[in-house]
Amino acid sequence: MTWVAWRLQRTETLVALLVLALVAVLLVPTGISMADAYRHDGIGSCLSPNPGFACANRIGAFQAQYQTLNFITNWFTLLPGVLGVLLAAPFILDLEHGTYRLAWTQSITRRRWLFVKLGLAVVAVIATNELLSLLIGWWRTPLTHIDGRLDSGTYDTTGIVAIGYGLFALGLALALGALWRRSAVSLTVGFVGYFAVRIIDEYWLRGKLVSPLHAVWHGAQAPGYLASASILSQTVTVNGRVVESNSSSGGVLGAHSQLAAPGSGQHAVFHVTYQPASFFWTLQIRETLLFTAVGAALLLFAAWWTHRRAA
Amino acid sequence: MSDSPVVRTLGLGKRYGASWALRDCTLEIAPGSVTALVGSNGAGKTTLLHLIIGLGRPSAGSVEVLGRSPRDEAENVLRDVGFVAQDHPLYRSLSIAETLDMGRRLNPRWDDAYAHERIGRLGMDPGHRVGRLSGGQQAQIALTLALSKRPQLLVLDEPVASLDPLARREFLGGVLEAVAESGVTVILSSHIVSELERVCDHLITLTDGHTQLEGPIAELLARHRLLIGPRADAASVARVHDVIRESHTERQTTLLVRANGHVYDTCWQQHDVDLEELVLAYMGHNPGASFAAPRPEAVAR
Amino acid sequence: MIAFHLDMRSGVPAYLQLVQQVRHAVRMGILRPGDQLPTVKEVVSTLTINPNTVLHAYRQLDMEGLVEGRRGVGTFVVENPQLVPPEGLDALRATLERWVTSARGLGLDDEAMAGLFGEAVRGSSSTGESRVA
Repeated sequence: MTWVAWRLQRTETLVALLVLALVAVLLVPTGISMADAYRHDGIGSCLSPNPGFACANRIGAFQAQYQTLNFITNWFTLLPGVLGVLLAAPFILDLEHGTYRLAWTQSITRRRWLFVKLGLAVVAVIATNELLSLLIGWWRTPLTHIDGRLDSGTYDTTGIVAIGYGLFALGLALALGALWRRSAVSLTVGFVGYFAVRIIDEYWLRGKLVSPLHAVWHGAQAPGYLASASILSQTVTVNGRVVESNSSSGGVLGAHSQLAAPGSGQHAVFHVTYQPASFFWTLQIRETLLFTAVGAALLLFAAWWTHRRAA
Repeated sequence: MSDSPVVRTLGLGKRYGASWALRDCTLEIAPGSVTALVGSNGAGKTTLLHLIIGLGRPSAGSVEVLGRSPRDEAENVLRDVGFVAQDHPLYRSLSIAETLDMGRRLNPRWDDAYAHERIGRLGMDPGHRVGRLSGGQQAQIALTLALSKRPQLLVLDEPVASLDPLARREFLGGVLEAVAESGVTVILSSHIVSELERVCDHLITLTDGHTQLEGPIAELLARHRLLIGPRADAASVARVHDVIRESHTERQTTLLVRANGHVYDTCWQQHDVDLEELVLAYMGHNPGASFAAPRPEAVAR
Repeated sequence: MIAFHLDMRSGVPAYLQLVQQVRHAVRMGILRPGDQLPTVKEVVSTLTINPNTVLHAYRQLDMEGLVEGRRGVGTFVVENPQLVPPEGLDALRATLERWVTSARGLGLDDEAMAGLFGEAVRGSSSTGESRVA
C-alpha cells in the first residue's frame, strides 16, 4: 500500500525536489564564492572585539556586495508554504476526482489509506524543508557571522523552524481540501492563509514566545552583549523626555551598530526590550512546536472529516 | 454457492441533513442474479449502492452483504465485492499496468493472469496511461479491476451512462461473460431502462428514495397487461385487477393493469407490456404504488 | 455452427426465440446430429444477454429431446432429434389454411386474424402451464 501511495504522490514529490534543485543551483555557486570573499576580505577578523576603523567599511562593502542575493533568499521563507501546499495536492485531488472511491473499495480500510497517504505527505514535507534549511543555513554562514541568527531572513530559513511552517501549510491545505474538495481553491487559500499567519507570527507572535529582556544604556554606542540581538522595541529619552519611541520588531543589532540618536548623542538614554542571540534555539524549538501542533491538529481534522463524511 | 441472499437490507434508510435520500428499503438479492436498479437521477440509486458497498453508513435500518456488515467489516466484505463507481474513476497518471499492479497490492485475492489476459483480449497496451484512454476503455479497466478480485458480488453504478453504444455493448458483454463463467451476482444501476431487459433478470425501481417495483423481470412482466378497448370506465376492471395507469381519448381507453388472475372481459385487446413501459407507468403515473413480485422458488414452495 | 439473433421488440421472450431458432436450424439441416451448440459464454458474448436466458433455452431444448448437455464439454444436438414428424406438420398446415379461408370469408383482415389466434394461444398456455402465483 505504501508503494501505491508513493506512486500517486510521485509527481508532487519530484516537483518539490525540483524546487530544491533550483534553489541549490542558485545557492551553491554563490555560496562558495561568498565564503571565499569572506575569507579573502578578512571579515572574520573584523568581528573581534577590537576591530580597526577600516572594518566598518569592509563589512559594509561585503554586505552591499551580497545585498541582492540576501534579499532574494529572504523570500525563501515562502518555500515551506509552497512545499506544504504542494504535497497536500495528491490527497485533495483524490477527493476532487472521486478516485478515493476506487481506493476505498479495494480491500483495504479507509483508515489505513488515510494513514499511509497523509503519513507520506508529512514525511516528504519534513524532509524537503529540512534539506532546504540546511542548504540555506550553509549559504548564510558568512552573513550569520556578521549579523547573528535572529535576523528574520536568517531565522526563518535556517534551523528547524521551516519544518513547522511546512507542516502548518500542509495541515491548512489538507483541512481546506477535506472541506471543499477542490484542489485549486484549497491550495491557493491555503497558501494565502500560510502567508497571513506567517506575518502575524513574525511581527507579533515571535516576540511573545520567550519573555524578552530589557536593557538601558547611555550614549549612542550599544553595549556589546546586544550584538546580534533582536530589538523588539526601543525608546529614546533625553533628559527624561521621550524623544523617540517605536515598537517595530525585527531590527537586529550588528556587531558594532550605532543607534541613531537625534541631536545630542551623549545625553540620550536608550531603553530597549530585546531577545538576545542566545535565545535562538529556544525560539526555534517553541515556534516549531507551535506550528507543528497546529499543523497536526489541522491534518487530523482533515483525516477525521474525510473518514466520517466522505462516501 | 449457497442459497442465502448475497445482499439483504432491512428498513434501510439514509439521511443527508433533513432529507432522506433513501427510506424504508427492504430487499434481498439472490445469488447468481443480475439485478437492474432503476430510478431517475436523485432517486437514491447511488445512495443505496454506496450503503451496500460500505461507502456510507446507514441512518436507519441495516444492510448485510454476504452475511456481514459492509461498513464495520469492510476488509472482509470488500475482498469479495467488486465495485465500479459512477464515471468509473481511475488514477489518470498511472499506466494500465500500474493500475493492475495497484489492484494486486491492495487486494488479498487477485488473479493477475486473468487481469492481464482480459486487457490483452480487449486489445489494450498495458504501457498506456489511463488518462489517455477513451471512456469505453477506461470503463473496461475499471471493470477489470473489479473482476480480477474474483468477487462474489459485482456492484456497478451507472456503468454505461457516458459510453457510446458500442462501448456499452462491450462493457455489458464483459460483465455477462463473467456471470457465465463464475456465477457472480451483479447489481447495476441505470436511468435508462431499454437495454436492461436482455441483460438483467431482476429489477428494483426507486422513486424518491422508496422501492417501487421489485422482483424477477419475467414475473413482473407476466403479471402486467396493457388493455386497449372502447372508451369505458376503469371501475369494472379495477374491481379485480390493480389499474396502474389509465388514459382515455374520446373513443378509446387504455389501461395498464397488474392482473390478479386472468382478464376475461373480451372487449379488451390484451398486449404484453415491455419493461420500459412498465417502469414508466409506475414511476411517472403512480409513484405511490409498489409491487414486489414473488420469486418462482417461493411459488413452488 | 448456428448464429443467434434477437428481436427484443417482437414480444416473444428471448429464451423462446433461441429455442425456436435451434428448432428451425435442426429442421433445415443447418444443425445436424452431433453438432455442438454455441457455449453459454459465446452466446452471451455475441448477444449481450443474460446467461440464465441461454441456460433456460438449452434446458427447454433438452426437455424437448432436441439436445443434450454434456458436463464440462458443451451442449450437442442428439442423434435422433424428436421434432414433430413432417406428416403431422403438413396436416396442421392444411387445417390452418382452411381456417384462414373461412376467416377471410367472414371479412377478417390480417390483424384481426392474428388477434384471434393470439388469444387462443394465450388462453391455452395460461391454463396449460401456470407460472404465476
